[in-house]
Amino acid sequence: MQIDLTGHSVRITGAGGALRDTLRARLADSGARMIGEGVPDLLIASAPLVEAPGFDWSALAAIARETGASMQAGGKGRIVFLLPACAALPVRRQPQLSMQGAALLALMRTMAMTLAPQVAVNALGAGAIGDPDLVSGDAQMIGHAPVGRAGTLEEACAVALFLCDPDNTYLTGQMLTADGGWMAGYGRSF
Amino acid sequence: MRADLGGRVAIVTGGAGAIGTAICRMLAANGARVVVADINESGAQVLAETLPDAMACEIDISNEESTTEGVAAVLARYGQIDILVNNAGVNTQAHRVTIEQFPKAEWDRIVRIDLDGTYLMSKAALVPMVARGAGGRVINIASVVGLAAMRLQSPFNAAKAGIVHLTRAMAIELGHHGILTNAIAPGSILSEGTRALFYGKGGLFGTRTDEFMRHIPMGRPGEADEIARAALFLSSPAASYVNGQCLAVDGGWTAGYMV
Repeated sequence: MQIDLTGHSVRITGAGGALRDTLRARLADSGARMIGEGVPDLLIASAPLVEAPGFDWSALAAIARETGASMQAGGKGRIVFLLPACAALPVRRQPQLSMQGAALLALMRTMAMTLAPQVAVNALGAGAIGDPDLVSGDAQMIGHAPVGRAGTLEEACAVALFLCDPDNTYLTGQMLTADGGWMAGYGRSF
Repeated sequence: MRADLGGRVAIVTGGAGAIGTAICRMLAANGARVVVADINESGAQVLAETLPDAMACEIDISNEESTTEGVAAVLARYGQIDILVNNAGVNTQAHRVTIEQFPKAEWDRIVRIDLDGTYLMSKAALVPMVARGAGGRVINIASVVGLAAMRLQSPFNAAKAGIVHLTRAMAIELGHHGILTNAIAPGSILSEGTRALFYGKGGLFGTRTDEFMRHIPMGRPGEADEIARAALFLSSPAASYVNGQCLAVDGGWTAGYMV
């Protein structure tokens, strides 16, 4: 899959990690220009994908809000949140991450409503991602994913890149999950 | 976006309709060999002739014999099926009434085509897909009314909600075969049909189109190409860990409560 971000500026903010690093490289491959401050054409708002005590979720939300408002004032923009899949389906073992993720998911959806039509706002939902070391989700999720394996960083990035594609002109307020079907139901036979 | 579908064989039901045509063209432009499947054979033929290495196939998805014969014709031509886009569907035009007045025959017609048809076409195509063992993709075209109900079309609401959940059931049954199933829920899409029924002069919206559009963050109906891009992504090798999802391409309509 190839998207064309030639001439587009991108700012990545929030939590670090392997998924964010891989996405940064893929965005650069797509022709995007990275900027550290100012109002970009595309903002990546990166949330922690595993429990992260001490992470400042409010600060991430504030940056997303402020950047979104500036994008709207400028007449265009796109925001992609990187969220853990437990934002949409709470996980018993990840109570704080589920709660904070759900809050950002709700923020994403309200921003989609308030910033349209100038700014599109969507989210990646990352299931069990990483090979062999998981950067998102946990090992128990893999056994319930119908495809029977964790996803790779590239597979998670592909979903994020799709959401970053400027050609996606009617897609906003959506979370698209890379989870191999974990969220769809009971992937195991009982 | 560009994707390399590398000669994969894609059946698109309702391929001669507005969204179906856009999906057929998008998949073909990215390297798929497309089967334009439609109950309207001449319409399918006209489109197929414009696409490289494509074929037209007359299929009535609500008729099991028709779906198995159609799949046999596809296998005779290409020997494989990689992608199935269950796009064919109907809504009521003549009976915009509430459920206690809704005619049984019209209910049966819509559920039989939209929901039973998605099952029958999937069943027919999945037999050879599972047997081949090479994986594949199923993309079910649902609707935002399968996520948030709208008045005066109760069987369409029920059938499309059924398709959303059938997608999840298929995802968890077929995932271990490497066959990934996802849905797209289009919002209101401009087509000849929706122009006649809703948007045009004498359409059901009348002068209330602007009022309706206030519920859609993007403030406009969508275009068929905007749905086709989502179908391209879900068909592509890039979407290899996306399974059981329903992606609403609806201008933000179902993101939340707008007013």
